[in-house]
Amino acid sequence: MRAKYLKPAILATIYIGLSQWSTFALAQNADASNLYKRGLAATCANCHGTDGKGVVDGGMPLINGLTSEQMLTQLKAFKSGAREGTIMPQLAKGYSDEQLEIIANQLGKK
Amino acid sequence: MDRRHFIGNSAAALGLLAGFSGQARANLQKAEILVIGGGYGGATAAKYLRLFSNNTAKVTLIEPNASFVSCPLSNLVVGGSRTLSEITTPYDNLSKRHGVKIIQDSVASIDTDKKTVKLASGKTLRYDKAVVSPGVTLMMNSIEGLAQANKAGVTLQAWKAGPETVALHKQLASMRDGGTFAISIPEAPYRCPPGPYERACQVANYLKQNKPKSKVLILDANQDVTSKGALFKKVWAEQYAGMIEYLPKYNVTAVDAKTKTVKFEVQDDIKADVLNLLPAMSAGEIAVKTGLANANGRWVNVNFLNFESTAQKDIHVLGDSIQIAPAMPKSGHMANQHAKVAAAAIVAELSGWEINPAPVLTNTCYSFVNEKEVVHVASVHQYNAAEKTFKTVPGSGGLSPAPSTLEGVYAWGWAHNIWADSLG
Repeated sequence: MRAKYLKPAILATIYIGLSQWSTFALAQNADASNLYKRGLAATCANCHGTDGKGVVDGGMPLINGLTSEQMLTQLKAFKSGAREGTIMPQLAKGYSDEQLEIIANQLGKK
Repeated sequence: MDRRHFIGNSAAALGLLAGFSGQARANLQKAEILVIGGGYGGATAAKYLRLFSNNTAKVTLIEPNASFVSCPLSNLVVGGSRTLSEITTPYDNLSKRHGVKIIQDSVASIDTDKKTVKLASGKTLRYDKAVVSPGVTLMMNSIEGLAQANKAGVTLQAWKAGPETVALHKQLASMRDGGTFAISIPEAPYRCPPGPYERACQVANYLKQNKPKSKVLILDANQDVTSKGALFKKVWAEQYAGMIEYLPKYNVTAVDAKTKTVKFEVQDDIKADVLNLLPAMSAGEIAVKTGLANANGRWVNVNFLNFESTAQKDIHVLGDSIQIAPAMPKSGHMANQHAKVAAAAIVAELSGWEINPAPVLTNTCYSFVNEKEVVHVASVHQYNAAEKTFKTVPGSGGLSPAPSTLEGVYAWGWAHNIWADSLG
């Protein structure tokens, strides 16, 4: 199941013609596209650590034990309101579904 | 459609793109990148320039202090429930773990024609890209008598965490029971919108336990509380009733250090035992001096796609110094987020790639209302290409419903993680 999030062909299908980002992604080489994804995931790092590796026993819930699929499920639950929380329901609503998917793919357990 | 777009879309031209990229990547490795200022913006920029370039970019951080002292959480030090060492982080991991060259010095001047930076020690450094993240300047002359009062040690600002933070707590500790602590707030925008109100809570929390007959006056030049207003007012009424008095539209114009008297634009003078007067603020001194502050001479206009100054090419400005987008606070968290967008854009540009046309920023800000309970405000800012600015996403972001100890734990969690993300 997890592999689904990682298949470039499927990702490309999702992106084609859908958004500003899709045009951008297709025009770039793999390194540039990777940089974009790292940059997006880095918006989470202030609270959850660089590359999702949070400070152990720092007080913030750790996310790096989650697979990409588990992470995406949680992010979508925060976004829809199905899962309650303090800040995360408010932040998740600020990202598009595509952005949440990229973040989950970047930060999920490899 | 620009040239790179066209080439990128043409399969036949892929070889050409690879060749171009190879050349550009050499540019990335050759470029001298100077980061000026090691706060939440500059430290993060230095680290992420290395990370995003897969440790190939040459990055030098110029910072006068030996270690980083966090402004967020420093109000707990003013209130006496925490120590300065608990909010201090060394810089050395940036060099040890990430290969950032650190020069402990300050920048005397920037020559934008020659693309050089002159250090206070006299040394001159060349740059291809400069990242300028100098925080704010406290405009001491905006309040008559303030500079002299500060010099004499009578009034302290403690709006840049460090020795003044500790000294302000000492003033509080030596104040008589029944005395008055007055904090004044300049008109927005200023560094850390909820900071003064949090400080009033921390001071009141200390006084309530140690000198319960004392008062806290909040003298606010603004029309109303500028951040988390309803939450703070509820806390003041419920936890600090009879102790905290909030006075809006009180614009301080002068202070008399001898009599500890504050003068206002409109209202009668007020005397207090401990005066914590926050003057108007502007972009950090080096930004103003270099002519970057092209928004009313106070703040730096930037291109929000890469945080390049609109006044000078190849100078990227981050954090509290910039002219903010709508609803964008001047906060440490936001400076860290600016830094990542700028770092990615600089790496992309030097690699010959198109920069990300749709960057995203978040902000989270926790305020302690006593030593354990916290309230937050959070927001998500997506780039709006039509208006060339960041805009908050409708329906996203928001406030805590009420203070909680759970958020007190998260606030420390936030701090430990952002210090590690920026400096670790």
